Amino acid sequence: MDEKVIVTNKGLVKAEFAFWVGIFLDKFYDNLENKKLIGNECPKCGDVFVPPRKICGKCNIVIPFEENWVDLPETGELMNYTITYHKINDRSDRKVKKPQIIGIVKIDGSSTGLVYRLLDLEPEEVKIGMKMKIQWEDNTKGDPSDIKGFIKV
Amino acid sequence: MGKQVAIVSAGFSEHASKRSDVNMGELVSEAVEDCLKKVPSVGFDDINAYVNGNMPAFEGSNIPELWMTDWMGARNKPLMRVTTGGTTGGSVAIAGYYTVTAGLPGIDTVLAVAFEQQSQGDTSVGLASVAYGEISILNTLGISYDQITRLLSAGAAIGVAAYQATTYMNKTRITEEDLARVVVQNRHNAAKTWWAHLKMPNLTIEDVLDTPYVQYPLRYGMVCPASDGACAMLFTTEEKAKDMCDIPVYVNGVASVANESAVLGYDGGGSAQVDPSMQLGAIRSSELAYAQAGISFPRKEIDYAEVYAPFPNQELLWTEKLGLFEETTAPEMYKNGVTALKGELPVNCSGGVNSTNAIGASAMERPAEAALQIMGKASNQVPKTVHTSIGSGWGGSLNLITLMAMSDQPQRKWR
Amino acid sequence: MEKVGIVGYNQVKLQSDANYGRYEMIFEAVRGAIDKAGLKKKDITTVISCTNDYYDGRTISNCFTVEVGGGYLADESKVEMDGAHAVLYGLLRILSGNHKLAVVWGGSMPSCFPYHTTRLYETDPTWERPLAYVNDITAAGFQMRAYMEKYGVSKEEVANVAVKNRKNAAKNALALEEAQNQNITVKDVLNSDIYADPVTELMVAQPCDGVAALLLAPEKQARKITDNPVWITGVGWNQETYYLGDRDLSGSKSLELAGKMAYNAAGIKDPRKEIQVAELYEAYAHEELIFTEALKLADRGKAPELNTNIKGDLPINPSGGAIGGNPPCGTGLIRIIEASKQLNGEAGTYQVNGVKKAIASGQIGMCAQNSILYVLEGGN
Repeated sequence: MDEKVIVTNKGLVKAEFAFWVGIFLDKFYDNLENKKLIGNECPKCGDVFVPPRKICGKCNIVIPFEENWVDLPETGELMNYTITYHKINDRSDRKVKKPQIIGIVKIDGSSTGLVYRLLDLEPEEVKIGMKMKIQWEDNTKGDPSDIKGFIKV
Repeated sequence: MGKQVAIVSAGFSEHASKRSDVNMGELVSEAVEDCLKKVPSVGFDDINAYVNGNMPAFEGSNIPELWMTDWMGARNKPLMRVTTGGTTGGSVAIAGYYTVTAGLPGIDTVLAVAFEQQSQGDTSVGLASVAYGEISILNTLGISYDQITRLLSAGAAIGVAAYQATTYMNKTRITEEDLARVVVQNRHNAAKTWWAHLKMPNLTIEDVLDTPYVQYPLRYGMVCPASDGACAMLFTTEEKAKDMCDIPVYVNGVASVANESAVLGYDGGGSAQVDPSMQLGAIRSSELAYAQAGISFPRKEIDYAEVYAPFPNQELLWTEKLGLFEETTAPEMYKNGVTALKGELPVNCSGGVNSTNAIGASAMERPAEAALQIMGKASNQVPKTVHTSIGSGWGGSLNLITLMAMSDQPQRKWR
Repeated sequence: MEKVGIVGYNQVKLQSDANYGRYEMIFEAVRGAIDKAGLKKKDITTVISCTNDYYDGRTISNCFTVEVGGGYLADESKVEMDGAHAVLYGLLRILSGNHKLAVVWGGSMPSCFPYHTTRLYETDPTWERPLAYVNDITAAGFQMRAYMEKYGVSKEEVANVAVKNRKNAAKNALALEEAQNQNITVKDVLNSDIYADPVTELMVAQPCDGVAALLLAPEKQARKITDNPVWITGVGWNQETYYLGDRDLSGSKSLELAGKMAYNAAGIKDPRKEIQVAELYEAYAHEELIFTEALKLADRGKAPELNTNIKGDLPINPSGGAIGGNPPCGTGLIRIIEASKQLNGEAGTYQVNGVKKAIASGQIGMCAQNSILYVLEGGN
């Protein structure tokens, strides 16, 4: 059989994206930078969203930007969790040696869950319903990483 | 089988080169609000299903409707996503029509939403990656990535339009002035359209010609902008439409036909490769849509047209290919004011795609504006009464043309 | 609802790394379907494709597939969800009366792209995506845990589903070779690598290369084309809200509402009694249990007690389901094809006896945020 020449072309096409977050999230991130958690409340059904939203999905109404802000505590309840060795980013998926525990925590006084790592815990210690508390990063930047994760209360 | 469909409202968000004050969900909710506020008797509970689309490469978001569910009022509702590149908006509008006409139990009022927030990404990368898999071999011959997107063309990049322009100009012997005239008309019209992007009421032909070439024969002054914006249209049945608005706009004919796949100058086959101004897709789409709508003589029976044309040569090309004007005579029509606001057959009084191009939404904004003209509710409303109008969309070197023919009279379905 | 007939279908053999390109694969699927039905290219009036720009790594991923998909100078469009949603659009086009033959095809080649990364791009870019804690892997873990916690279902009961589907896949010549395993046990499944605790690798429907196509026609034309049309008598589809923190992951609201809509249209009052086989797109073994309950085939928390083997009370996924091979954008379409095979008696060694009515489901989004369900009936 004849030898075939196959040409391989390796290269990287750069595609950069930068997302506008809108005014509601802008205010939320400003507060996050100061290690404060805020949400907003639907004037009709009373659901409290964190991060805040322009529209309440249940009532289909706009939550006015000027009012309806709620200061939220740093504590919450663990609703769900999982443990995984997979780490994904916008280029690839790889397996790591030490697994991460990721949990959904419902902040006290809010109606929705935040998904973050659970820190300083062994998998056996995690129980649904546990009381959790935010652990902040030392140097906050006004983006989602300001919350380092949740620790047990 | 096959219920008569009517458009009862169309809404827009504000379009700008950077809508930095909103995230994607909020941008879409603006268009939805604008659409629904024109039909006060319709609430979110009355909407039975949603159809959505955008061109996902521009925002770096895959199937963004999943995230934006609540922002559209679509929670726990049927939702279908349709994307066809540059013609996405037109395809979404057509899918909205099909969802109503199918007559599924409980599905008679459908909201179609299309949007784009291009400022979040890199438009030229988004466009070039249409064919990058095919043409990347040219890198091995020493041709760099940015050169490829100019030399060859696929997607709605300017390269495709340039090839269409040169082949068209070869048949019609027009000059660049004819091209500039179309741009000036569009930008003046945009100045009177509240949601449009490039509002230039004082633009002159000289201004347009006084800009450097991007790619012959197209100059910077002729090129469409890249906009952020969203559009929404409400479709329903003939029976329900009567209670929702004064003048329901009946959708009588739809089609979306493509030519062959062609990476112009390099790969592909057929007429799209050999003569980009031949436009088999447009010819076939108009045959299908006009037959459904019972339009035998488009020039006489169509009162208003929104023709998708990011570049001015395309407006001339498609007004002919869609049957509005005799071949090679479109430039005359523009010179003689036939297509002006007060003309016999006004075209693109919204400013067209040449003034506002949020790629995912722009092909929907054409039938949306054409419908509003029939309703008498368009921003830049023509003085004469519009009974029948068309809105078209175009995508890529494969010339997918979406077409929607509308009228204030329902067309009883043909078999 | 008026009847629409499935008059032909074809699927390529699923492979984890196919040695041919996507154009050949699409042509094989579509041309095969047309040939099997004894039709010609010219008979096609409309084509709906299902591909995803991020999976194919190219913008307008269907644009160069116009010719191979049979769409040249035909009225064509594209749905960017699961193949089962593309069938919905084909169905709508037939019901409009504008078209007499619709081709629907869908599929992709995960051997060419990082699947989990592309799923990451579905997440909220303004809040969740930068940290990537919400992704399809963790979502699977949350969903299984929510279901187990609420109803006290055990890991073994979930693993049972994976065992059943992998054994079924061994009987299906077109299923993914790596998924086929006659001798697999519950222990094998539980001992496989952790995916996202409590989900293990063998409980996951592995993405693979594949394309499938099917043909739709209105009732009158369907009877001219084939003696065995499969009738779509009901369809329902629904999208839940997005944020995982807002959803009850122990059930599937989207499939429940989709099922309600489809059953209504098809006149099904007691699905448990009236349906003889179900082909459900289960991205993970636990999803099959959740979907069984959402579709009222079993009471809440009782799905593990239902005998869903091929010779059982209500066979589910006799073809092996998505665990038998999951080509993104094609999986839901293949479920419809497999259900049709059951109705036509073409399922060979995994044929269920006496099938008159079947259901097939598809999904898209994290934890099936958007689901679609079809009710199919055979015979004249």
